[in-house]
Amino acid sequence: MNKPNGFVAAQAVSLPWPVRWPAWRSLLPWSSLTVPALLLLVWSSLSASGWISPQLLPSPLTVADAGIALWQDGELQGHLGVSLSRLAIGFGIGALGGLAFGAALAVSRNVEDYAGGLFHLFRHIPTIALIPPFILAFGVGETFKILIVVKGVFFPVAIAAHDAVRNIPRGYFEVARLYKLSRPAVVRHLLLPATLPSILTGLRIGLDRSWMLLVVAEQIAAENGIGQMMEMARQIFRIDIVMLGVVLTGVIGFALDRSVRQLETLTTRWRR
Amino acid sequence: MSLFAERLRKGKPLVLPLLLLVLWQWLSGQGPAYAMVFVPAGQMLAGIDELLSSGELGHALAASVSRMSLGLAIGAGSGFALAVATASLRPLDRALTPVLNAVRQVPLLGWAPLLGLWLGNGEPAKLFVIAMAAFFPTLLGTYEGLRGVDRRYRELAAISKLSPWQGFVQVSLPAASPNVLTGVSQSLAVAWMAAVGTELLFAAGLGLGTLMFTAETGARMDVVLVCVAVIGVLGYTLSRLFEWLAHWLLRWRDAVST
Repeated sequence: MNKPNGFVAAQAVSLPWPVRWPAWRSLLPWSSLTVPALLLLVWSSLSASGWISPQLLPSPLTVADAGIALWQDGELQGHLGVSLSRLAIGFGIGALGGLAFGAALAVSRNVEDYAGGLFHLFRHIPTIALIPPFILAFGVGETFKILIVVKGVFFPVAIAAHDAVRNIPRGYFEVARLYKLSRPAVVRHLLLPATLPSILTGLRIGLDRSWMLLVVAEQIAAENGIGQMMEMARQIFRIDIVMLGVVLTGVIGFALDRSVRQLETLTTRWRR
Repeated sequence: MSLFAERLRKGKPLVLPLLLLVLWQWLSGQGPAYAMVFVPAGQMLAGIDELLSSGELGHALAASVSRMSLGLAIGAGSGFALAVATASLRPLDRALTPVLNAVRQVPLLGWAPLLGLWLGNGEPAKLFVIAMAAFFPTLLGTYEGLRGVDRRYRELAAISKLSPWQGFVQVSLPAASPNVLTGVSQSLAVAWMAAVGTELLFAAGLGLGTLMFTAETGARMDVVLVCVAVIGVLGYTLSRLFEWLAHWLLRWRDAVST
């Protein structure tokens, strides 16, 4: 029945920091939607008040209208489709290449000796700085944009794959050998489960970065795509379309991040 | 034999770069279209010499680094301050965290066109993007560090009758400092990337990104490549310097634990 003394004492101490909610907190109607709703309210009342010219701050409704108009023209779907397919192609190539190279770097002494130095050299070059040389070398077409995405994905994935394979305890492989597991079985039951979580993290970081890189590359040189839509709108001072683009790139980035995170929790569930 | 094998092993990392250089030089001789992309070594050196002697590279470098430093100071400083505020005051945390998370979803340089319209393409817009880039890693690092402070430490502060301010400065902040510094080091890396990115997007004024952009429009691959190399080396050096600084700042931890 008697609790140990220390426990009672710890319960009795009120911590000086962090500061708690005041007692009147229950009087406030509060939810996770309160702040976004307030923001929207402030935004629309600011633009309705006339203090800020609608040229600089269009109302939320104007932005939504711009979106609907572009959608009905089919223009918006076009830009989104082009950007997402560039991302998908570049991501596919970069992720597969990164996986293969990272694993090879972890397993083979020769790969490390011959290519390790160059790998570490190139990984320290910010991808964004490669946009101008890539434009000069490959022109302003699709190749350069896809290669920028590839570069953005390849390195985080390769590093994740390398570290993941390196971190598998040697004992696991010895157990696999004792049980005389076949090669596919080793991959299926040892390699995949041991490396998947950190590889997924690498993929998520790569996806995050390459989405931003693609939007920048499209702003600098493209005929279409969500980045070009924003850049074009900026030049003709259509701030509603620019804001639409900002919101859309945010929503897409969020959705991409979320879906990989979902995969991460799915694949790590068995661990618990 | 083993000595020979050892020598061979040491030479291995040089094989691929040397082959690439030879291939590069060979490609540069395959006609003017090739020479424009695969700049011959001689022209490369002449380009470097021209950039250095005209002072163009030095000026651009100084402009980029000082712009990045200012943006980093503003961004990381306000990130730190806001993290302290939100970690200390729960109501503020509940109010601000959803907003900050929403802002964070937009890819950093996705804001550029909007900021370009609002602030123009001069210094304020660039600084804003760099500061925004530097803001979030420091904010997250500091916040996580402060929230992760061991409850026993805070209890100790309470028992020692420290005021909230004393408890924060003497207990929570030192305990959180490794996370804070990790956040700032990430801020540094992102701020450097953002500096180059904004200079590319708002190609006006001085800076490595702007120099690269004008060189690109003039099809000067040699200048572009020098810029890429300088940006890579500088980014790496800055992050190593900060690593060293963080290690030095945290040296008291080793003294405490032994």
